[in-house]
Amino acid sequence: MLETVAQAVINGLLIGGIYALVSIGVTLIFGVVKIVNFAQGEFVMIGMYLSFYLATQFGIDPIVSLVVTMPVLFVVGVLIQHFLIRRVLGPNDMPQIFLTFALSLLLLNLALMLFTANYRTVHTSYSDEAFHLGGLYIPVAKLIAFAVAMMLSAALWVFLHTTDLGKAMRAASQNRDVATLMGINPNRVFCVALGIALALAGAAGSLLMPFYSAYPFVGQVFVLMAFVAVVLGTLGNVMGALIASLMMGVAESLGIQYVGADSGLLVVFAMLLLTLAFKPNGLGGGRAR
Amino acid sequence: MTKDRQQSVLNNAGSNDASGATPILSKRQSRRKFLLKASGVVAAGAFGAVPLRGWAADPVNIGALYPTTGSMAQIGVGCVAAAKLAVEMINEAGGIKSLGGAKLNLILSDVQSDTTVTRTETDRLITGNKLSAVHGCFASALTLIASEVCERAKVPIITGSSSDQLNKGRTYTFTPFARASQFAKAQLQMAKLVGDKPKVAVIFENTAFGTSTSNGLKELAPGEGVEIVMFEPYSAGFTDASPLINKVKASGANALFSVSYLNDLILIVRTVKQVGLDVAINGGSGGFVIPDFYKNVGKLAEGLQGVAHWNHDMSDDAQKVNAEYKKRTGDFLFEYAGGLVAQTFMIADALERAGSADPQKVREALSTLDVSSGYAAMAPGGKVKFGPDGKNIYGHPVGVQWQNSDLASVFPKEDARAPLLKT
Amino acid sequence: MDKPNRLGLLSVAALAAIVLVLPLVVKSSFAIDIFIRILLFSFLGVAWNLMGGYAKQLSLGHAAYFGLGAYTSTLMQVNYGISPWIGMIAGGVVAMLASLPIGWLCFRLRGPYFTIATIATAQALMLIFLKFRDFAWGAEGTTIPNLGNAPLMMQFEAKSAYYYVVLGLLAVGLAITYAIEKSWMGYYLVAIGEDEDAAEAIGVNAPSMKRKIYMISAFLTALGGTFYTQYIYFIDPATAFSFNISIEAALVSIVGGIGTLWGPVIGTILLETTSTLLQSWLGSSLGGLQLTVYSLILMAVILWRPTGLMGMLTEAYQRYLNRRPARA
Repeated sequence: MLETVAQAVINGLLIGGIYALVSIGVTLIFGVVKIVNFAQGEFVMIGMYLSFYLATQFGIDPIVSLVVTMPVLFVVGVLIQHFLIRRVLGPNDMPQIFLTFALSLLLLNLALMLFTANYRTVHTSYSDEAFHLGGLYIPVAKLIAFAVAMMLSAALWVFLHTTDLGKAMRAASQNRDVATLMGINPNRVFCVALGIALALAGAAGSLLMPFYSAYPFVGQVFVLMAFVAVVLGTLGNVMGALIASLMMGVAESLGIQYVGADSGLLVVFAMLLLTLAFKPNGLGGGRAR
Repeated sequence: MTKDRQQSVLNNAGSNDASGATPILSKRQSRRKFLLKASGVVAAGAFGAVPLRGWAADPVNIGALYPTTGSMAQIGVGCVAAAKLAVEMINEAGGIKSLGGAKLNLILSDVQSDTTVTRTETDRLITGNKLSAVHGCFASALTLIASEVCERAKVPIITGSSSDQLNKGRTYTFTPFARASQFAKAQLQMAKLVGDKPKVAVIFENTAFGTSTSNGLKELAPGEGVEIVMFEPYSAGFTDASPLINKVKASGANALFSVSYLNDLILIVRTVKQVGLDVAINGGSGGFVIPDFYKNVGKLAEGLQGVAHWNHDMSDDAQKVNAEYKKRTGDFLFEYAGGLVAQTFMIADALERAGSADPQKVREALSTLDVSSGYAAMAPGGKVKFGPDGKNIYGHPVGVQWQNSDLASVFPKEDARAPLLKT
Repeated sequence: MDKPNRLGLLSVAALAAIVLVLPLVVKSSFAIDIFIRILLFSFLGVAWNLMGGYAKQLSLGHAAYFGLGAYTSTLMQVNYGISPWIGMIAGGVVAMLASLPIGWLCFRLRGPYFTIATIATAQALMLIFLKFRDFAWGAEGTTIPNLGNAPLMMQFEAKSAYYYVVLGLLAVGLAITYAIEKSWMGYYLVAIGEDEDAAEAIGVNAPSMKRKIYMISAFLTALGGTFYTQYIYFIDPATAFSFNISIEAALVSIVGGIGTLWGPVIGTILLETTSTLLQSWLGSSLGGLQLTVYSLILMAVILWRPTGLMGMLTEAYQRYLNRRPARA
């Protein structure tokens, strides 16, 4: 009995790490640029396809291909901010919401056209292996993914709190107008934010490849969880998103175990609704937006 | 052109053999016969009884509705290739003799894996063309809609879709292959073959396909002496199979029945390996029995069992079609695609006996279909005959197992083409 | 408030005449299917527009009400033999009632997070209907009983009958929108849409207004759900609560002109004709092509003409007006 619970918790934490990578990107963009990136899942998908391509054409291990996917997606992020998002930043929500939404639709369907709906899988030597500790098992690929996800999150935290650019981002996130007055170029900061967020999405994609299959709709599966985590962890709060993601992963896993195999998502939604009912700003508290 | 005329005249004169072999006559006799027939035809043509241009009889329209775009595109594209192959085979063998050698004209429509599109496309196909019959659509939900439209438009539809709802209250829907409830029984019986006291965990995706098959499992298990220790629907398209497999492990099952589409199956199979869980997996039908499954799962698929309503090693005819299909597409002929080749031949058989392209007459002919040889009889058991509810009274599924990157039929004994490997 | 001018009335009358006569003139069943689709999604767009266009509450979860309407009328029909005409109204009422708790929950969030919450509610409803098999057929769904030609049970042999039914729905939707637009409620909604805090500051009861418009929007959307089920003869959770329906309702309104009376109609006509043309030119060879084009159109509109087609038309009309000489 205890073993089952422990295993469920481990499973939840491991997948939660992936949710974290995706949701941190979303919350970062929201905190700094103040828009919701509905297309975040599609960038994970792009990361996956990129890793798939590198693995099948050049034999590069997906985890190693991080060094390619992250910079590539960073650049993509900068370009998207500079050419697309910048044009719809303003007091009105509507264009922002539907721009990234349209982007999501576009990327998904482009992928469908270019790659077809077929699943693409990469088998590495450790893809289906697991560490066995007592009666517990920890899949190797997922453990690596979790570890890298935590390292990237830590790196981001360090960046935000020690470097000038990072502090500038946090300043812009807290109060854009004052930040501008203090000489921070908002567009530059936004570009970096988008770049980092998309790089994290790309990382998630690469880390997923050893144990998940790529297909055009794959982003949609993860993005819903990511959004819930962002709301749960308070909009714009990076640490909040991380913790919320891990919590959600565990809740989903326990929900499947003890409520019903089809109730994982329901449990997560219930968690979200309950939290919103009592803490409308999420667990991190803070001002109403 | 002259050769064709000669051929068809001789055929009309003598045999009803669908294979199109000419009766063996001496050359002089043949020529005399030919001249007699030809003059008869010219005379008849002079009286306008038989239009001379009737030599090239009007083609008979067959509609085919498959999702070649959208989430089910992989399967849909394969189905279309098979549909084209079937029509070519029939046409090359001389078309429909009783209609003057009329060729089948395949009219395809993409239902885009979407219910509204299915509704409008089925309608468009029927009203825009004079269809004699329709086949499609692979997915249960889409087929249900198409069959409703066909029922109201009084056009017969023949389908391999396993939903039991298709046989309720309809007269224009024909299902030559196993029903969802029958798959369940086969799976249970196969479990007993591999282990003594099978304790089965059943997981199924919570859409039409999963629920109808799994209901059958629940009802029949006690009767088959199989204990179900876990019975859970799950949400298709999950991010991680670990919680589910964890639950399977906790249930103490030694066999796992998974009724799933492809992407979930891939994850489930791989996760079972990761966990090191020793369970015999029976992947049911659906995504399990298509070449893509092996492509994505690789060696892990070896030894896994499933059930299918059609398999390419069932008979020599099936193997022949499989070889041709493989030449064209590079993959083996999978369950649904092979089934629809047989269905096309069943339609051709009905057209032959009806002697008319009128859909209602074709429907009558289909309801009296009774074949046990030829491509129309490519079904497990080799026999097709429809009952009053459109079901094939001989219809039953065949148990399959992945062996050497190919799918081999292993159950029941009469249908087994390879031994069931115990893993 | 501008009084409807004679030219405007005449053109509307002419339009109405054409639209009423269309199915009698056009014989192609396929064409009528397209018209029905256009009318239905115009209607859904109009219903969405009340919330999303005027009050700027951008919901992407309207499929929740679509599905509730569809299931209510179908359950009543299959279980109790009640006519879908009645079931349609009942479905609307159910949707209205459902919009209260959903609204209470979602309105606590602003902007994009409201949108996400609405997506989540539609998804949650789908999951619930998938799970509870005994209640409403679960995942398998059901077809409606085949009654042949039964106008009292909203089943018709003639395709054009469906056309007129959905045309009627659209007329009702447009009439309601027009009435609201010209009333005090319309002004309050626009104020809330522009700046909710400011509106509250001048005494607009925003929560109450939002609740009211949500109820109306939900009611209308549910009517569309019933019609749709009667038209395609089938219902299941994936279809009834489909995210695509939520998207399309919003899409046509934005492309056509958010917050305008005719916006959703024009938007639907543009998107549907594009889609049909694409399909006939390129066949269905390229999966995903249609939505790719849709999303490009949407992005183009957002980046260059956020006021949509209606905005473009009004601007063009203004430019035309300004070019006329003789200003006293």
